[in-house]
Amino acid sequence: MRRPFTGWRSALAFLAPKVFQFAFVIWATYTVTFLLLNLLPGDPLIAALSVKGGDATPTDPEALRELRAKYGLDGSLWERYAVNGLAALRGDLGVSIATGQDVGDMIGRALPNTAVVALLALALGVVVSIVITYFAYVAKWKWVRNTLLQIPPFGVAVPAFFSGLVLVSVFAYGLGILPSSGSRNPLSVVLPAVTLSLPVGAIFFQVFSAAVLEARASSYVFTAVAKGLSERVVFLRHVFRNALLPSVTILGLLIGYLAGGTAVVESVFSRDGIGRLVVDAVLARDANVVLGVVIVVSVVYSVVNLLVDLSYGLIDPRTRPKAARRAVQDARDKAVVEA
Amino acid sequence: MSSSRMRWALAPIAAVGVISMLAACASGDSGDTADSGDMTSARDTLIFAIKEDPTCIDPQQSTITTSLNIGRQVVDSLVDQDPETGEIVPWLATEFTSSDDLTSYTFTLRDDVTFSDDTALTPEVVKANFDALFALSSTASLASQYLAGYESTEVVDDSTVTVNFSAPNVQFLQGASTMTLGLVSEASTAASAEERCTVGVIGSGPFVFDSYTPNDSVVITKRAGYDFASELRGHQGEALVDTIEFPIITENGNRTGGLESGEYDIIQDLPYADEARFDTDDFRLYSKANTGVPTGLIPNIDHSPVVADEAVRKALILGTDRDEIKELTAAAAANPATSALTSSTTGFVSQEDALAYDPDAAEELLEDAGWTLGSDGVREKDGQKLTFTVTAFYAQDVLEVAQMQLKDIGVDMQINITDAGGFFGAIASGDYDFLSAGLTRTDPDALRTLFSQAAKSKWAIIDDAELEALLTEQASTSDVDARMELIAEAQALIIENADFVPLVETIQLHASGASIEGITFDSASRINLYDVRATS
Repeated sequence: MRRPFTGWRSALAFLAPKVFQFAFVIWATYTVTFLLLNLLPGDPLIAALSVKGGDATPTDPEALRELRAKYGLDGSLWERYAVNGLAALRGDLGVSIATGQDVGDMIGRALPNTAVVALLALALGVVVSIVITYFAYVAKWKWVRNTLLQIPPFGVAVPAFFSGLVLVSVFAYGLGILPSSGSRNPLSVVLPAVTLSLPVGAIFFQVFSAAVLEARASSYVFTAVAKGLSERVVFLRHVFRNALLPSVTILGLLIGYLAGGTAVVESVFSRDGIGRLVVDAVLARDANVVLGVVIVVSVVYSVVNLLVDLSYGLIDPRTRPKAARRAVQDARDKAVVEA
Repeated sequence: MSSSRMRWALAPIAAVGVISMLAACASGDSGDTADSGDMTSARDTLIFAIKEDPTCIDPQQSTITTSLNIGRQVVDSLVDQDPETGEIVPWLATEFTSSDDLTSYTFTLRDDVTFSDDTALTPEVVKANFDALFALSSTASLASQYLAGYESTEVVDDSTVTVNFSAPNVQFLQGASTMTLGLVSEASTAASAEERCTVGVIGSGPFVFDSYTPNDSVVITKRAGYDFASELRGHQGEALVDTIEFPIITENGNRTGGLESGEYDIIQDLPYADEARFDTDDFRLYSKANTGVPTGLIPNIDHSPVVADEAVRKALILGTDRDEIKELTAAAAANPATSALTSSTTGFVSQEDALAYDPDAAEELLEDAGWTLGSDGVREKDGQKLTFTVTAFYAQDVLEVAQMQLKDIGVDMQINITDAGGFFGAIASGDYDFLSAGLTRTDPDALRTLFSQAAKSKWAIIDDAELEALLTEQASTSDVDARMELIAEAQALIIENADFVPLVETIQLHASGASIEGITFDSASRINLYDVRATS
């Protein structure tokens, strides 16, 4: 409050490069995807037409010329790059050639399905990781700790195709307590989320448990133990917070992994979602849909990583910009005085 | 490469094939629907798991089987076709005639038919349908083939309508029995192509579209007051179940597992490998060969001197063993491919003798034509290797068996598996030695669609004036018997001149629980669910 101008300016200095980075990632993703789609051999128009046309897909050059004009595929590469890019900036992602549907609508329909599975998987993976790490931390015997710490490589090594099918066999076909596939039943989100949580949780676990074990050997934990604090209190109050910083970084990166992972899980469980959408669109060379999904996913990815960057300051005051740190210090001083 | 080693390698696979075939034979005739005669359903809702997103639920526009299987339930057609005899019978039209030169067709409409938006079926609506469909052009690619040469639809009087073509159109009447030319209400003809794809169309059929969530499901519900079924159906009046849900289950294992656990009542496309597992008293299997041209090698003689050599193409016919291909790759219920038309197509005449496997004769033919065996086991002539590429987007296993068989006679067949876009792109640019695919059409005019050099839709690039003349003549022959004779001649000629190397007939194979009755195939091997019901 006393130095609003300085605070504003330093916040800008803190945020500006991050926002620039944010914009750059989205632009670069769009450009690379656009070029890749256009450099691929083959005719995107015919690929898209064959989705609906089956064995009656038109191959007559004259009919193809008319359709090319109709779908705006007859301009030069740079024209289409500019037109598509500007339209995307306005929020218009165009129309799918294969399905004739609005790309924005298609993504809007698929995104919530994917988000539910991804968030549930992430929450499940993180909670289970923390619980297992806690038990490994407080374990009295070394072999128990080592066994618990060996779980994550297993989660990473088993492909989702396999774990998914095993889960379906047991819980859907065997016990009959959960639906196997589709999304007609609200419970159908459970098995895909559990499947996806295995690799996601395992990656988080590796980073988190390594940080916890590192903290365990540090001097402040030694001090805390010497003070007579219980292991649980040491873990929750001291170790946990310090181990959180690298773990939050990996959370941001996991969003990218989740986007890819849902493609596999959505195929195994025959669910609608961003992953399936993009797989189908790539097969149909449906450029507008692929570009639309890539733009949306890169925005989500960038936003999450921006939030992760900003959360560092909350978790660890040492990483805050100077002004903010001072504000914290002021607040502490005030608190001390008031106390 | 020693052929004996190859045979040893194949032995276990062949054994499995033979055993599963015997098992299938032993357990009786699959695919028969034993009607109990009771025309009520024990359950109101049936779940029918489909294998892919229908993408576009308008049966007039879409050509993919999944979409047509659903669309059939929503639209009725002017005429129906008996899948057994091929006879065209009345449906929404009580009478139909064609001009002798097949350039005009006249239909007399039933006077009591309404669409599900309560508008009546009138000659004007028929005209609006064909006008709108023709205007869609290649957006409705199959319909535009059925309407080739469309000129106009004339409203003759209150119940009569005449469809005119600028040139003979022999496949129109059979096309008019399919869901592709099924009739929609005037409001649907006015809607945009995209809207019709996503929202669906308003038909006069026994079911109406309730919802379509792309990549997730389609739901259709019974139409109250429906009473326009053709005489080929098992009952009259309303459909027997209230709701049919079609969840889109792309993973094969999920569909079969869900059928076993009772999650689904009916599943589309049972994998052939699972056929034996479901051939029990607890399930019913439904199989029918696609009509039209079977999967086989389609030549482009302009692309390669090897393909242009008739001796080579004839050797390919003699050097491929269709019985073995069928045993290794096709459903137990399938027939080996024995002509340029499939065994389920009207006018099919088996060319079994000309297609008999005879590798010795094939080798002799190649030797005589100057193709001598090189040191690497591949024949060559004047420095040119006997090699070519087959472009395909499905049935890789079929091609791999053919590849092994041809290797025995010194032919090097390369397989280029691409996606549908790559396949049709190759046709558009003419860049292929051979294509491998089948063409699903109800009418034997499929031969002209694929082999006539005058057809815009052709896949084969061949030089066969006699065949061209036959295909053109059959297309303007109104006398059915005379036409079928021409079709028979064309089939013999195609094999004789090796314009096509048949490989395998594709089977539609579906399955349901034992309590489901009344699933039937129409003449295009698509499903009709009007009579479907659950007995318990």
